Amino acid sequence: MVTVDAAARVGETGPPAGRRQRGIRPSRGYRVFQAFNAIILTAVVVLTLYPFVNVVARSLSDEAYIIAGQVNLVPRGFNLETYRLVMSDSLFWTNYRNTVVYTVVATLISIVLTTCYAYVLSKKHLRGRTALVGIAVFTMFFSGGLIPNYVLVTSLGMKNTVWAIAVPNAINVFNLLVMKAFFESLPVELEEAAAVDGLNTYGILLRIVLPLSKAIVATMVLFYAVAFWNSWFAAFLYMDRQELWPVTVYLRNLIAGATGAENVGAIAEADEVQAEATLKAVTIVLTTLPILLVYPFVQRYFVRGVMLGAVKG
Amino acid sequence: MFHRSWRRVATAAAALLAATTIAACGDDPSDKQDLSGNRVGAMADYGLGAQFKASEPVSFSVLYNNHPNYPLKDDWLFWSELKSRANVTLEPVAVPLSDYEQKRGLLIGAGDAPMIIPKTYPNQEDAYVSSGAILPVSDYLDLMPNLRDKIERWNLKPEIDTLRQEDGKFYLLPGVHEKAWQDYSLAIRTDILDELNLEIPKTWDELYTVLKAMKARYPDVYPFSDRWSKPNPAGNLLNILALSYGLQGAGWNFQHASWDANAKKFVYTGAAEQYKQMLQYLNKLVAEKLLDPESFTQTDDQARQKLANSKSFVISANAQAVVNDYRPDLAKTNPKAKITKIPLPIGPAGEINPASRLENGVMISSKARDSKNFVAMMQFVDWLWYSDAGQEFAKWGVEGTTYVKDASGKPTLAPDVNVIGIHPEASKHLQKDFGFYNGVFAYGGKPELVQGFFSAEEQEFQKVLNARTPAVVPPPYPFSDEEREQASLWETPLRDHVYQATLQFALGQRDLAQWDAYLTELKGKHMDSYLELVNKAYDRYRTENS
Repeated sequence: MVTVDAAARVGETGPPAGRRQRGIRPSRGYRVFQAFNAIILTAVVVLTLYPFVNVVARSLSDEAYIIAGQVNLVPRGFNLETYRLVMSDSLFWTNYRNTVVYTVVATLISIVLTTCYAYVLSKKHLRGRTALVGIAVFTMFFSGGLIPNYVLVTSLGMKNTVWAIAVPNAINVFNLLVMKAFFESLPVELEEAAAVDGLNTYGILLRIVLPLSKAIVATMVLFYAVAFWNSWFAAFLYMDRQELWPVTVYLRNLIAGATGAENVGAIAEADEVQAEATLKAVTIVLTTLPILLVYPFVQRYFVRGVMLGAVKG
Repeated sequence: MFHRSWRRVATAAAALLAATTIAACGDDPSDKQDLSGNRVGAMADYGLGAQFKASEPVSFSVLYNNHPNYPLKDDWLFWSELKSRANVTLEPVAVPLSDYEQKRGLLIGAGDAPMIIPKTYPNQEDAYVSSGAILPVSDYLDLMPNLRDKIERWNLKPEIDTLRQEDGKFYLLPGVHEKAWQDYSLAIRTDILDELNLEIPKTWDELYTVLKAMKARYPDVYPFSDRWSKPNPAGNLLNILALSYGLQGAGWNFQHASWDANAKKFVYTGAAEQYKQMLQYLNKLVAEKLLDPESFTQTDDQARQKLANSKSFVISANAQAVVNDYRPDLAKTNPKAKITKIPLPIGPAGEINPASRLENGVMISSKARDSKNFVAMMQFVDWLWYSDAGQEFAKWGVEGTTYVKDASGKPTLAPDVNVIGIHPEASKHLQKDFGFYNGVFAYGGKPELVQGFFSAEEQEFQKVLNARTPAVVPPPYPFSDEEREQASLWETPLRDHVYQATLQFALGQRDLAQWDAYLTELKGKHMDSYLELVNKAYDRYRTENS
């Protein structure tokens, strides 16, 4: 989604290009380019949107039409049975609430830790900086493995708590490096000026650097929130009670139960049969919609050119 | 249970990889027998047919496979009734069904496993044997009179022997059936058979004739288009064919070694003469356009769509797929269509019932051995999973509440209780509201019990198959840890090559005249060394345990 919008923006209204064009008639080559651009980008939009619209259509369709392969963009045999089935379960709502709580808590922790770490690493005069970067990068390539991790988290007493999900995954090294690069690109002069005016390190971070870094922080919030929202593995490992599962585990299990057959030789009830065909689609819609709704609000931070005009002379 | 065999293959592979080279550290045998410190709560006079009741309240942790159709509830009658009947509280560690095996491996590996670990299929325990985390339960069978009785009365010794490890012990308490239960077969559109005046085919050769006739009537259709081709091509079709040709299993249940009863040794399944014959058969079907070549690659949904739209008339099936998939699909596209699961077609191996009588079962964590309640726990496991009363309780529930018995003792579901659509209007559900007929606790047993909820149609199917001779159970060939490691290194390339060649031969991309070249290729992948390993292990086990 992000890619499409970004590409579209560049293609449609490149500000410098537009300004130059104002007085002069656009050249033929440029108009051909624009036409091509429009066609290609529209094709990209269609390609990206089609699978999603198809999934939404499937989730609202009658199973028979899906089996017959007749559902494309418009739901056929409109039917909310599967939604009703999934949403009538109180466990679904418990787990949905868990997902929200886990996502919020884990994202908050991640942002604070990642920002602090990245800011420190961005200071060239920091002694041992290479080692600190090395430690972080090391974890990108090597890990203790599943069982040692499990033993560690368990013996720290974090099993069956939100910390088991939030803490071990708090710093994503890739995000950390992106953020570090961003901080490094901030002009040193700004911070020097702030220091001259009497701000200490924390003041500089909180009052100067962070307000200038809204774009990157918003991006990171989005990255982390989406990752935590979609994650199921940590919760699956560390949560021993179903009331603690996030909705991803719940829905994953639901699909497994509907497609794999537990009671062979037995016959599931009719409502469960209906569920099977549309269940995957409903699942996708239910888990993606809320996080999708976050995009428009965060989107504007991507658009803002934060650094424009910050340094003069 | 769906994909049971497939899972077995997958976990066997994982098991072999996971096996370490450390030999299982056996305790001092005298130490094993001394249970004096572990008898708290146990019954002194527990015996065959007795109702287990702990002498004081005990609780056991149990790994719980949480099924989304009946998610775990604390207020199930099942739990409270266990409390009052057996004085036992079970503490479930809930694991989503979707990833049960992974979590089980993790918990055992981390030493954090509950005492009772159910829902483990035969051979899945192999991975945990050498670590010592799982109890060699065969040492404690004297605590389990009901299980011993069933093994003896139902002649299950050959099956149980297949579970034995190199030390001669077994580590899994399997679920046991009195009669083998073969579920997978083919489903056929009977209305098309009627239209063409044909009988339901009994053998693979008759199936060929039927497909020919269908093709003659509907030239534009591939009469047979199969499903279950992910991740391996034609998983079920290859397997049931191989079984009917007297092999140990192919497709999603690929078994490297097949037992040759005449020569008294193991042969390589993918190189056996029978395997060649079944490939010839498949190749004939494909060449004459009776079997859809896409059968080997398409998704289940594609196969179902073809069936639903009368683009095919024959498909792999189990009882559930017929009722849940094919019939509802067809009802919506073609109300006049009729489809039914046919008894497993008979091949050169004759009228056999190839299914195993072993089911998924229970592992016991080694830690449990140190519990002061160990004896009580083993008695409890024996009662709940293996006694007639326990099995009936786990499946049917409480008499008068969830079921009633008629004069002959035959149980029937209470009218206000529903399960698998028997009483669709009922307000309560046997699984969801009471916790009975739960896949974790209820399986196996006598045919009357196993088939309790089967439709008349499925009971008929089982009657046909039960009348057939049970397939010969191959003798055990337990590997040592080094051997297992070596075998697993050879198995993957061998299996991949067999799958690949199977597809090529069946589709006619490779001529069956090249069979000998194919055998040479297998030899290049250590087929002979592999067989030597198997036969050596078999000989060793036989001489040590004769």
